[in-house]
Amino acid sequence: MLAFLKSDSPPGARRPGKQLRIAIAGNPNSGKTTVFNAITGSRQHVGNYPGVTVEKKTGFCRWGDHELEVVDLPGIYSLTPHSDEEVVARNVLFDEKPDAVIAVIDACSVERNLYLAIQLKELGVPLVLCFNMIDVARSRGYQFELDKLSRRLDAPVVATVGHKEFGISELLDATVNLATASDGRRSLQVNYGHEVEAAIGEVSATLQARDGQLTDVQRRWLSLKLVERDEEIRRRIEDSQVLEVADRNAHRLARLYGEAPEIIIAEGRYNLISALYREAVRGPALERRTKTDRIDAVVTHRYLGIPLFLGLMYLIFQFTFTLGEPVMGWIEAGFGRLGLAVGSFWGPLAPVANSALKSLLVDGVIGGVGGVLVFLPNIALLFLAISLLESSGYMARAAFIMDRLMNKVGLHGKSFIPMLIGFGCSVPAIMATRTLDNRGDRLTTMFVIPLISCSARLPIYLLIIPAFFPQRWQAPMLWLVYLIGILLALVSAKLLRKAVFKGETSAFLMELPPYKVPTIKAAVLQMWERARLFLKKAGTMILGMSILMWALSSFPRVQPDARSQQRDPSLSAAQQIEHSIAGRAGRLMGPVLAPMGFDWRIGTALIGAFAAKEVFVAQMGIVYSLGEADENSDTLRDKLRRDYTPLVAFCIMLFTLISSPCMATVAIMRRESNSWRWAMAQFWGLTGLAFVLTVLVYQVGSRLGLG
Amino acid sequence: MEIPDKLTASLEDYLKTIARITADKQAARAKDIAGRLNVNMSSVTGALRALADRGLVNYAPYEYVTLTEQGTEVAREVVRRHEGVRDFLVGVLALNEDVADKAACDMEHSISPDVLERIIRLADYIEICPRTGASWIKEFKEYCDNPAREDDCEQCLTVCLQDYRQRKVHSDEDDATLDRLSPGAKAKVVLVSGDRATRRRMTEMGLTPGTLIEVERVAPLGDPMAVKVKGYHLSLRKSEARTVTVEHLK
Repeated sequence: MLAFLKSDSPPGARRPGKQLRIAIAGNPNSGKTTVFNAITGSRQHVGNYPGVTVEKKTGFCRWGDHELEVVDLPGIYSLTPHSDEEVVARNVLFDEKPDAVIAVIDACSVERNLYLAIQLKELGVPLVLCFNMIDVARSRGYQFELDKLSRRLDAPVVATVGHKEFGISELLDATVNLATASDGRRSLQVNYGHEVEAAIGEVSATLQARDGQLTDVQRRWLSLKLVERDEEIRRRIEDSQVLEVADRNAHRLARLYGEAPEIIIAEGRYNLISALYREAVRGPALERRTKTDRIDAVVTHRYLGIPLFLGLMYLIFQFTFTLGEPVMGWIEAGFGRLGLAVGSFWGPLAPVANSALKSLLVDGVIGGVGGVLVFLPNIALLFLAISLLESSGYMARAAFIMDRLMNKVGLHGKSFIPMLIGFGCSVPAIMATRTLDNRGDRLTTMFVIPLISCSARLPIYLLIIPAFFPQRWQAPMLWLVYLIGILLALVSAKLLRKAVFKGETSAFLMELPPYKVPTIKAAVLQMWERARLFLKKAGTMILGMSILMWALSSFPRVQPDARSQQRDPSLSAAQQIEHSIAGRAGRLMGPVLAPMGFDWRIGTALIGAFAAKEVFVAQMGIVYSLGEADENSDTLRDKLRRDYTPLVAFCIMLFTLISSPCMATVAIMRRESNSWRWAMAQFWGLTGLAFVLTVLVYQVGSRLGLG
Repeated sequence: MEIPDKLTASLEDYLKTIARITADKQAARAKDIAGRLNVNMSSVTGALRALADRGLVNYAPYEYVTLTEQGTEVAREVVRRHEGVRDFLVGVLALNEDVADKAACDMEHSISPDVLERIIRLADYIEICPRTGASWIKEFKEYCDNPAREDDCEQCLTVCLQDYRQRKVHSDEDDATLDRLSPGAKAKVVLVSGDRATRRRMTEMGLTPGTLIEVERVAPLGDPMAVKVKGYHLSLRKSEARTVTVEHLK
């Protein structure tokens, strides 16, 4: 048992050369990331921890003779394994055994921040305390006796200001010293009072008898966790005798105090902290109203709060789309030119003008990837907006303001902004769910985001609505489609929360961090990280899917018929698509499509819409032999009007609204949920829902004579 | 830090007194201690030295005396023992306060943890069990004063049952809970109830008994609310705030 605690060779000697592994721990909003950035600069790498949706940030830094590998642990308040973040942080400490841990402490909120630091110290990791944002705290009138604190906690304490890089070199000196010292792993024993200590003592003695190899620190820590009834440690222990003694003691304490032992123990830690605090920190005699208080008085004001919030969101969308549009134009033009350039290689070789390779490169790779990359400016700008909202501290206020509404569908206030971003594009929206700590909340939100009608679906509505509905019904119709999406998202969220993620509700309890002026460097860095992540991970998948989509509509090929091709190229394109797998699939799907009022043309175009929703319009143009078509094409509208009723038109909008998210969304869902299972569940779940609802609407509608 | 060797009864008393004085005024002076314990200054100085040697108080001549963390811990234990015994003597044995306090001072130093545990639990049990309770103690006191009484046991038990039913109806109307406070109100956390996981989270976020909090604002839609605790801003839903029993400080 307990292999995870062993292999305790002397620190620093384990890794080749002079490499040291450093972990940075701290509460959310403690300025952990600014310290991490100050240490590593741009030498960072962002990934995911295996199996969970938690971001893993690693960076490198050379300090003196040492090469430091720095891991930025997720922001946590405690080491109890309740959220994925906490489990991940603890596992890094257990399994990777860093040579030193830096606990970042917000100097303005020392007591709560010390809670985590004390737990780290109890665990016996070599710990350096970093009192960050010391300038703000001092200007508020706090005075610190850091030497005293350092002696009491038996750990070096360094004062820093992360974003000004003040104190970072002292911090690194202290960290490297500790990491290379032979006696760095000293723990701190909190005295929990007679009864709790007796319980810990008995469990510890039992552990000693069962496994003599454990050190005193490890034994005490394990006993403490067992008395706290820590599920994770209980699983790892697997020794029924130890567990039995632990349970008996935990039970006895619970009866004695009338309270769960883990809560007595948590209170014990806070008792120690408040004693330390009284000794080493002097607070201001009178607490002044801070800037944060003044901003909050306006921003979360009873009447002003919501209008301000909505106004800000409007500005973000304006900003995203006005700034993004020209860049989108350039990307589109760029890919167009690239397509022509690549295509021109085949120019002189007339007989093979229709070669499959050319088509693959021009239509499949360049066209397909270009069709998705066109959204990159919007996605990147939305990332920038999200990162500014987060780092300024406003994100928490948005959650505070909107929680009442979100709570009604069983979600957290923090779900609101990602869902709102969904009106722009599902991809950044799904990535924005990272602010949600609770796994159930996060997956539910990701799941329903595609139901919020994104901007790529607008061209479809803009093509169809003017074709089928009289002028005065056009605006309400568009509004109705969006509304259906929102309602479905909320209802599905509620159902998912009730049925699938029912056990995983958590407390709302959220810190409202002090407002900060976001640094442009950090915001741009984060935007770049996320955009790169999208390009790299989703990009490869999108490339693969683009090729697949191309193949579906290009094979098997129509025998080249010289005459018809010369006469009308768009006619041959129509023949090709009708002949292709997509076209055949469209026909094969006839029995499935018929109940929705769709024919094979719509089916084929829907397959195309998987590449990106707005491709639906172009595909319809091709199957109607119109060549290039966009949402303003009146000829296409005429053809549509000839073949379909307004009811079918509405069903098309309904189906494209709900059904399968586009391939970029599937790719990002796979990445963010870290499993194909969730991505596929979303894909088929939404498509199934779309089918059922569309059939319902079409059947009821046509019975009522609306067709 | 290990638990110090056994303290003498008198040193425990000193520790207890310092804890009581610091609870009132942050720091204690040797003079205050001498006054409270009714001893002369030189014995106070000697005792403070002994305590300082054990790392339980911060002490230098002519300065304020404060408890170290360890000292606070030990003092808490002593006070707990004292109060446990005294409450039993007053609440169950129906002795008057002065007698009880003196007796408790003598008993607290020698009582073993197991016995103390039983005594505390018996007192609790008598309080919550509908067959006993305050009136039962009162009758016991009357019995002590005048042993020759006649009782109608059947009627007594009926009254018990009625009381119990009434208590059940009214029990959750008395306490002030955090969700009922309006912005600007200050309060002290008394107790956090609710389910175990949430209770633990709240404790970890600093809502421990005795913590001072201030309600700052309520969200525009009426829920959640924001409170200031341990120097930071925490927001929580009203349903969670309802589980926090507070003492409203006016």
